[in-house]
Amino acid sequence: MTTLSLPRRRFLCQTAASSAAVALARAGAPASPSAPAPAASPEIVDTNVTLFRWPFRRLKHDATPALVAKLRRHRLTEAWAGTYEALLQKDLAGANERLAAECRAHGAGLLRPFGSVNLAWPDWEDDLRRCHEEHRMPGVRLFPGYQTYDLSHPDLGRLIQLTAERGLILQIVFQMEDPRVHHPLLNLPIIDARPLVPLLERTPAARVQLLHFAGNVAGTDLRALVDRTGAWFEFSRWEGNGRLGQLIRPGPGGARPPVPASRVLFGSHAPYFPVETGLLRLFESPLDVETLHALMHRNARRLLPA
Amino acid sequence: MDPLAFALNPADYGLPTREELVAYRIWDTHFHGFNDRTDPLGQFHANNLYVRRMGIERSVTLEAGGTLRAPLQPAAHDAELRELLVQERAWLSGITPIDPGFPDESCVKMEAWIRRGPCIGIKYVGGNSRGIPCSHPNNDPIIRLAAELGATIYIHTWLKVGGTPRGPGRGNLPGESTPQDVVVLARRFPDVRFICGHSGGDWELGVRIVRAQPNVLLEFAGSDPHSGAVDFAARELGADRLVWGGHGPSRSYATELAKVLESDLSPADRLKVFGGNFRRLASPILRREGIPFEL
Repeated sequence: MTTLSLPRRRFLCQTAASSAAVALARAGAPASPSAPAPAASPEIVDTNVTLFRWPFRRLKHDATPALVAKLRRHRLTEAWAGTYEALLQKDLAGANERLAAECRAHGAGLLRPFGSVNLAWPDWEDDLRRCHEEHRMPGVRLFPGYQTYDLSHPDLGRLIQLTAERGLILQIVFQMEDPRVHHPLLNLPIIDARPLVPLLERTPAARVQLLHFAGNVAGTDLRALVDRTGAWFEFSRWEGNGRLGQLIRPGPGGARPPVPASRVLFGSHAPYFPVETGLLRLFESPLDVETLHALMHRNARRLLPA
Repeated sequence: MDPLAFALNPADYGLPTREELVAYRIWDTHFHGFNDRTDPLGQFHANNLYVRRMGIERSVTLEAGGTLRAPLQPAAHDAELRELLVQERAWLSGITPIDPGFPDESCVKMEAWIRRGPCIGIKYVGGNSRGIPCSHPNNDPIIRLAAELGATIYIHTWLKVGGTPRGPGRGNLPGESTPQDVVVLARRFPDVRFICGHSGGDWELGVRIVRAQPNVLLEFAGSDPHSGAVDFAARELGADRLVWGGHGPSRSYATELAKVLESDLSPADRLKVFGGNFRRLASPILRREGIPFEL
């Protein structure tokens, strides 16, 4: 059964530290021989979950009680919940009402509803008013592309202004799934973030969070948003080994990180993504306890108090 | 700060500890650690931090000899990589990319990198200049030689939505195989086992396509983590036909590990998927190459 046997597990344990230290040194990152002191494990605020049915297949945890139980098992104690119904439906007042009711009925104190408005549908302003005044939602979530507009829509500036005046958070979703596996009936544009920059510059009080946003290939739109606006970012789309750490940690010589850790929030994109994906990202990158606390809950609390 | 230490306890978040990850005996059968255009060896060394941090037992690079962009053209770092595959054979293996547009040249490369070299298998990359998918008769001499060598056969597949009218697979590149192509090839070689890569690109369709072809295994790296996908594949194909890959560094180990960790697979089946199935598939050539491993 076994050829030249090697206790690889022992090899991993024995050699990993030195090899990793070499790799870190090559990358210019600091390496210290001492492990951090054990720390209390903080709870997590998930800023990107979505309720009800994904239009194209059943998801494993698309029943709200199942999703809530799943989140609790992983120490997620608060989740900002949008609704899949906002992707394709026209009666968003009804969708938002159902979302609010679902969070009350099954949220178990964990779910905070984020309704939606669709700039392409008439009288979206009243949907915004209802979200705020009737349902007491802390924010709204946009799904450009699915909602048949992009960020050059002439009403977007006014929506940003109105959410700022009402003290609402505005979440903008850049992607829901890999376009290569879209249902063939869907032919959605890639959402260009650049029109957001001047709009947010004009409304510095706006609290805008970008969901499932990776930036363009060159990273120029991410850089502009970081440098010229106060936008917040959720990291479920930051793909690649160690990508989270690479984006928020100082570079060689203390160079400024691409994104300040203080503006990054945990987002799972559940139930479409496994909750485990976002959680594992927190452990894949070598992050210190302070940074983990910021990502897990402190930044979210600054954006939306308990 | 110890770069391998987790600052918090993963178990507090319903995740495996590093020791538990190691115990899964994870073999990354889809490793892109030498894919950088300018500094492939530097990329490999930098990525090792994450390999070790996440407890990966063995990495199997898919770009040993040449590059994915030009599989048959020698690369500047070929000699160094070949040496590395020998020196680090305790935890690093290589699969060499071939091009079915050039079957004779592909076989020459297999002789050099597998029979007389350190590699354990071949990879069909995602497209080629002559537009030849893996179902084409050109592939027969390649597969015959692979079978003779006991080499593993990994076939990149996708079903990219595109074309007019739009449909799955109509957006593929020239020569980029579909899972249907893999099935056509596998029917011609019923005694050879094939790995259908990326779960066909679209796992809901890919699983259905390969389901009835028992000599086709499914690997599901390099795509977004879709909750429930591994459960579906295991239900339809059986856990014995699933193979895990990491696809790093362009994909995150977090992404790929989560696909299995969120599944309802038993611990025994997780061990199979994370490495046991591939070890069984590759064991003849691993033994012949004298590569140390435990089944």
